[in-house]
Amino acid sequence: MRFLSTFMMGFKYLWKDPVMVLVVIAFPIAIIFILGTALSNIFSTEVIFEPAPVAVVAEADSPLAMFLEYDAIQQFFIPEFTDFAQAEEKVAAGTVSAAFVDQGIGQPVLVLMPSHADHMAQIALTVIDSYQQIGAAATIAIMSGRDIFTLTGLEEVEITSQPLGIRTPGAMDYYAVTMIVMILLFTGLNGMELFHKGLFSETGSRMRLSPISKPALIGGLLAASTVTSFLQGMTTFIFTAVVYGVYWGERIPLVILTLFVMVLFSQALCILLIIIFEKKNVVGGITQTLFFVTTFVSGGYVPFNFGDLERIFRFAPNALAQTVVFGAIYGGDERWMAISLATLFGAAAVMMGLSFILGRRRFA
Amino acid sequence: MIASMTNIVKRYGAHTALDHMNLSIAKGETLGLLGPNGAGKSTAIRVLTGLTGTDAGEAQLFGKKMKGNQPELKRRIGVVPQDLALYETLSAGDNLAYFGRLYGVKGAALKSRVAEVLDVLGLSDVAKKAPKKFSGGMKRRLNIGCAVMHKPELLILDEPTVGIDPQSRNHILDFIEQMAREGTTVIYTSHYMEEVARLCSRILIMDAGRVIAEGSVEEITRSVLFEETMTLEVKDPSPTLLDGIKNIQGVISCEADRGRLTIVSTAGAANMHRILELAMPYVVLGVTAHRPTLEDAFLALTGKKLRDGGEA
Ligand SMILES: Nc1ncnc2c1ncn2[C@@H]1O[C@H](COP(=O)(O)OP(=O)(O)OP(=O)(O)O)[C@@H](O)[C@H]1O
Ligand SMILES: [Mg+2]
Repeated sequence: MRFLSTFMMGFKYLWKDPVMVLVVIAFPIAIIFILGTALSNIFSTEVIFEPAPVAVVAEADSPLAMFLEYDAIQQFFIPEFTDFAQAEEKVAAGTVSAAFVDQGIGQPVLVLMPSHADHMAQIALTVIDSYQQIGAAATIAIMSGRDIFTLTGLEEVEITSQPLGIRTPGAMDYYAVTMIVMILLFTGLNGMELFHKGLFSETGSRMRLSPISKPALIGGLLAASTVTSFLQGMTTFIFTAVVYGVYWGERIPLVILTLFVMVLFSQALCILLIIIFEKKNVVGGITQTLFFVTTFVSGGYVPFNFGDLERIFRFAPNALAQTVVFGAIYGGDERWMAISLATLFGAAAVMMGLSFILGRRRFA
Repeated sequence: MIASMTNIVKRYGAHTALDHMNLSIAKGETLGLLGPNGAGKSTAIRVLTGLTGTDAGEAQLFGKKMKGNQPELKRRIGVVPQDLALYETLSAGDNLAYFGRLYGVKGAALKSRVAEVLDVLGLSDVAKKAPKKFSGGMKRRLNIGCAVMHKPELLILDEPTVGIDPQSRNHILDFIEQMAREGTTVIYTSHYMEEVARLCSRILIMDAGRVIAEGSVEEITRSVLFEETMTLEVKDPSPTLLDGIKNIQGVISCEADRGRLTIVSTAGAANMHRILELAMPYVVLGVTAHRPTLEDAFLALTGKKLRDGGEA
């Protein structure tokens, strides 16, 4: 009874707050609208998938040559087999977007790119990246102008699996996932708002003087902020699907479960922070900074190279959620997806528990 | 005994907010806690309601210590906090309904109680509006409404009229008087002495965490103030009039400034009629008697003005 009243109250309270609705729904939708339109224009499908000529220096029966023969790859590239000197010349002259140089089994693949790389060169890098990820031995050297960087990490070359999924994600598909995960992180502010109101300030005192049990109060507030946040996330989800035709894959339940776990995580984080710091502006400052950083390091459409830090960054909450969602849509390492989802959920559970302990101590 | 505090000491660091405070209130009483800013009024209420612990002494409500969740005990009291404690985006009606539900009011009874409280507080017209659009006075009234949805036996109000228009203030004072008439026990804190004088049968005057006087308005002023002043304006007073007045019992001094006589008597001398009798033959232009107030009492007790907490 009191749990339900508190849940209803919290739900109404959040939905009637125009600022909250603005931050959580209107703002992201506006951003998606602006950036989404921009992205779809820049990376219109014709531009992306028009195959670009690349020079290839490799034996016709080498793994690299075999790799480039896949249909999926040929959407991107028209390979021109040639020798090294000519390849270099073509790259310099701009008649090819890049050159791939096979240096033999177990040796790095050299990628030659013009100093002013176009987006096709960027795609060339991504393709070689995926060549590595499916188990092909490669080292990418990027020639940038006259400088050549050589990265190491060699393995036996063997191509066993289909290199790319049936559907290739466009800019907007990437962007929608990154964006929705970030939005869900921000919905933690719903939890912060409700718990600040319900535990601190004068309203908090009033709540503590009223005959509501602690589980009913905490449960009611948590349910209200979780349901509200989840619905806000779903709004964006449906919006991207309907308006931008974003592809959310075949495993919708897994995607939605992941988004829900993300909601739990963000609620837990913000509630814990408000119980520790008590002040809304402090928690607001911390979370906003944190959320933009984790969104950035988790990588969106624009790939950054963070080197060794990447191993840590993939445990950023956004990265964990994105791993599962991208995996669910385009196929990914199931074990790693399970670990990511479990880590996210575990972190949420730990923070909830911690909030409960700290909260109890505070209001004993 | 509805509520009691015995030798309560409450410290914040080196600062003593309550210094051996005692308080007791019987059923049906209206007790005023009067004191300047920082006197410790809110702290006293927080201690009494168990919102904060104490360093020494014991506080009880209905004979029990307020600790942990005691729903039966909590249902008997209503507290109006000093600052607004509302859900600003919910309508006035929804705020009242929510707090009503927390106290177990439901169904048709809840509906009619919401309407009733809105009505007595003069908020019926804005029942569907959110308090963030209200004037200060309307917010304050709603703040009180949320504490009385369950008709508490003991109503505690912490400066409910701070910073509002006279109309809202009257509304609130009428409402509290009404509650008191219906048998509610009331603890009312304020730094407005005229409010406390109007509402309360018994008053505690607090300063710097200590209770410095206790009793009814008359008791306090009489125990503290030893003099009363009266001014009499007379056309062409004669020296005999002055001498006559000086000889009246209770008169301490009588000074004339042209036609204006300032007469100081001992408190409670009740000699005004005698003075006026003597003045009968003269043309009396004006009489003012300054009745001693709590303000005077406070000034005499502490050397400070009550209002605004400033030094006199
Ligand atoms: N949480 C706190 N931490 C430190 N000092 C406090 C705290 N609460 C109150 N005090 C101090 O205790 C003293 C009494 O405060 P209290 O709020 O009880 O006064 P008050 O009589 O209610 O005043 P006002 O009329 O301004 O509401 C003040 O000096 C105040 O600064
Ligand atoms: Mg106060």
